[in-house]
Amino acid sequence: MGSWMRSAAYRIAFISSAWFAFAIAVIGLIIFWAMHIAFTRQLDATMADEAATLVAEYRLDGESELADAIAQREKLTSHDRLFYAVFAADGRRLYGSFNTTRPALGLHDIRFIDPAEGPDWGRGLAIDLGRGRRLLVAADREHIERIDRTVISVFAAGFGLVVLFGIAGALLLGGYLRRRLGAISDAAEAIVGGRLDRRMPVSARSDEFDRLARSLNLMLDRIEGLVENVRQVSSDVAHDLRTPLARVRNQLERGLNLDCDPASRRGIIGEGIRSIDEVLGLFAAILRIAEVESGKIRYIFARVDLSALATELAESYAPAIADGGRTFDWSVEPGLVIQGDRELLAQAIVNLIENAQRHTPPGTKIRLALAAGSSAIRLSLSDTGPGVPAADHHRIQQRFIRLEHSRSTPGHGLGLNLVAAVVRLHHARLAFGDNRPGFIVEIEFPLGAE
Amino acid sequence: MQILVAEDDNDTAEFVARGLGELGHSVLRAANGPDALHLATTETPDVVVLDRMLPALDGLSVLRRIRAAKIETPVLLLTALGQISDRVEGLEAGADDYLVKPFAFSELAARINALGRRRPLSDVVTEIEIGPLRIDLLKREVRRDGHIVALQPREYRLLEELMRNRDRVVTRTMLLERVWDFHFDPQTNIVETHMSRLRAKLNEGDAPDLIETVRGVGYRMRGDG
Repeated sequence: MGSWMRSAAYRIAFISSAWFAFAIAVIGLIIFWAMHIAFTRQLDATMADEAATLVAEYRLDGESELADAIAQREKLTSHDRLFYAVFAADGRRLYGSFNTTRPALGLHDIRFIDPAEGPDWGRGLAIDLGRGRRLLVAADREHIERIDRTVISVFAAGFGLVVLFGIAGALLLGGYLRRRLGAISDAAEAIVGGRLDRRMPVSARSDEFDRLARSLNLMLDRIEGLVENVRQVSSDVAHDLRTPLARVRNQLERGLNLDCDPASRRGIIGEGIRSIDEVLGLFAAILRIAEVESGKIRYIFARVDLSALATELAESYAPAIADGGRTFDWSVEPGLVIQGDRELLAQAIVNLIENAQRHTPPGTKIRLALAAGSSAIRLSLSDTGPGVPAADHHRIQQRFIRLEHSRSTPGHGLGLNLVAAVVRLHHARLAFGDNRPGFIVEIEFPLGAE
Repeated sequence: MQILVAEDDNDTAEFVARGLGELGHSVLRAANGPDALHLATTETPDVVVLDRMLPALDGLSVLRRIRAAKIETPVLLLTALGQISDRVEGLEAGADDYLVKPFAFSELAARINALGRRRPLSDVVTEIEIGPLRIDLLKREVRRDGHIVALQPREYRLLEELMRNRDRVVTRTMLLERVWDFHFDPQTNIVETHMSRLRAKLNEGDAPDLIETVRGVGYRMRGDG
């Protein structure tokens, strides 16, 4: 039961039930007092009416009529009947059977001797009749007390029920909360235990718990994606490093064994340096992507003239592409400016141009286009090469993905991954399509992002 | 030249110092920020090679204090990979050049050479003449033996860089930075492509080649023409 005491769910449920019971008790007390006061007032009013009637009779018909009227009224036996007494100035009771001493004038509680029950408390109204005579109209409090007792016992029973229901409700609510929260913490513990694919249960109700569970699940999806990515990258890096490192090792070994002329030794060392440069290039690309994905660069965003950049890149690459036996043309709408990082945008466009060269046969037409639409600036790079199957469009922007036919071409499979990261950083959209024939990559920079 | 190498990694510092020594420079070494600042302000080296990450006082702070002391010694900042914002910060703090680790020694040597012989006067020069070549920096006009050679804008910029640095090796990376403003390494050899077109235009009709290729490093404009 110690866990009960420490359970916030039960604590909250019990506190809310107790607070509710307390409110019921306060309301009950207020009602009780209001009723008690109302009944007392009603009794006082009845006595005042009665006294007024008797006084009027006394004034009209004199003392004997008053005595008769009192005697007649005292014959009534109803339980709410009144009691009467008339006292002389010296304190004697002249008539009326109400056994008490001469009271002070006005309305007050008085003590009397009940013929059946002995001394008791009643409530009386004393009125001066003149010549020292005093009329007392009184009522037994028993009547009100009986009502009070009934109210209290009914209320006590009701309150008992409220407390019982409160406890039952608190147990149910507490149990419910504990169960819902328990499901979440069970899932969390399973995840801590290594089952990264476990998710928080989500019911159809869409309440706060479900919303919490859903955001936690989204977070977990993201984390799982990142973890998977890291795992993938580490194994890919290890794999991609093995090849050039093994090559360096063989080259060095060859250089060691060969007691040859300095010229061929220099050649071997040159090859080794190239292989190592390849490894360093791979690392540079990985770190660049990590830097872009961290989003820190957004702090140094500035105005970039995309038109000027695209033209410059096109002019710079045209000779190299022409030398490679492909044709390259471009159409750039002038004056298109976005907020961004010039360097990264340049690198992204360069990667696209280089991909288009690398994965197409000589004779391919490559085209760079930049134009503003109604809602976005569209940059596209298309070619008339073999294209990419639609099924692979999603895969090619992932890290280290190289489609089967491109295994033999140079490159480390990070080019489009960097493009995708740069596009994300600029809140732009990346799309791949069929150029009929060939491949087309489109980047849409939303207008108004400037 | 006297070169201050402020680098806390002993292997790198040793390797750089030995290499620069072999090239005939004298090398001062500092392994932490305060030493680097002291040597830079008291020894008046010709070039400072400053690592960004130095113990006790980081490279950027050393650089800011050197500049605050009105010392205009050229500073080459070294930094780890993958920090675009670092480069911007470094140049704003007053660095003259910037090199990302790991670097090739030939790259460092070329850059130190370029920095060390930088003459304040070179900015007011409006014409450079090397042998039969003459370029007018204001009109952006190139003549060989008095005949105008028509160049594309990037070919002109390549030639200008080489002529401003006559007799010094200009690396491929330096050209990418200065002519294209690229601080990354594209796979395509755009420098080579443009260089071959520049050469073809300059050397039309079997004229001797004035641009020397330094294998695996870069290019050099021979000052003797």
